[in-house]
Amino acid sequence: MTAPAVGTELAPVVVAVTQEKIDRYAEAGGDGNPLHTDPQFAAQTQFGGTIAHGMLLLAYLSRMLTAAFGEAWLSGGRLKVRFRAPARPGDTVSAVGQVVRAEDGRTVCAVECRNQAGETLVSGEAEVSA
Amino acid sequence: MPPRLDSLARGHELPPSAFELSPEWVGEYVGAVEDEAIASLGPELVPPMAVAALAVRALLERAVLPPGAVHIGQEITFQRAVRIGEKLSASARIVSRGERQGWLLMGIELSVEGEGGPVMEGRATLTMPVAEGTP
Repeated sequence: MTAPAVGTELAPVVVAVTQEKIDRYAEAGGDGNPLHTDPQFAAQTQFGGTIAHGMLLLAYLSRMLTAAFGEAWLSGGRLKVRFRAPARPGDTVSAVGQVVRAEDGRTVCAVECRNQAGETLVSGEAEVSA
Repeated sequence: MPPRLDSLARGHELPPSAFELSPEWVGEYVGAVEDEAIASLGPELVPPMAVAALAVRALLERAVLPPGAVHIGQEITFQRAVRIGEKLSASARIVSRGERQGWLLMGIELSVEGEGGPVMEGRATLTMPVAEGTP
């Protein structure tokens, strides 16, 4: 797979987040934190309601990077992100990325997850040997 | 009963947890995250974030997350691709711990090994309200 040039935008992944999807991830990931799965508990927290797992958002980023870089992402990929804001049931999350530099055989992308209002939920960098 | 995460001191190592990447579990994970890209690479490969999810799962089996804990940062390096059927071992260690304005900030190093050597390493940063009696 040829490395995309600096400035290339990766094909985005767009997902409608629902409570059912969050519950399904909680089951698969073994993370039943009530902040994600219990609306009554979550309503009493600073978030005011349930939020998606951060790792679920990273899975959307990973899907985008798998499509862009193939096995190079699976073997030698590196991701460093901060969680900026929560994704909530009803949100449409877009995982986006752009190649920002290529150095020493590594391709570095700025990556983000955004909601339908354009608010950044996750931001950081991904790096692959490509 | 596992200890609460916020009771663990810096340097504390959680015992490893063993997993097998069964076709059923991988299918469940791929369905949950709607990963349509991994199948294009072949039927046996596992999404790399599935391994990270297992590392977090291992952590949650060995330490109870306090109510209100929030994941604020994550670093992950995937050392090699993994395939359905592989047996993995995930472990975790508390590498940083600090308190600020009533919130505890913890850095947790996660690592996953397979029969062929290291598979993934990473670091999760979590914050949580300071509980009374927290050391």
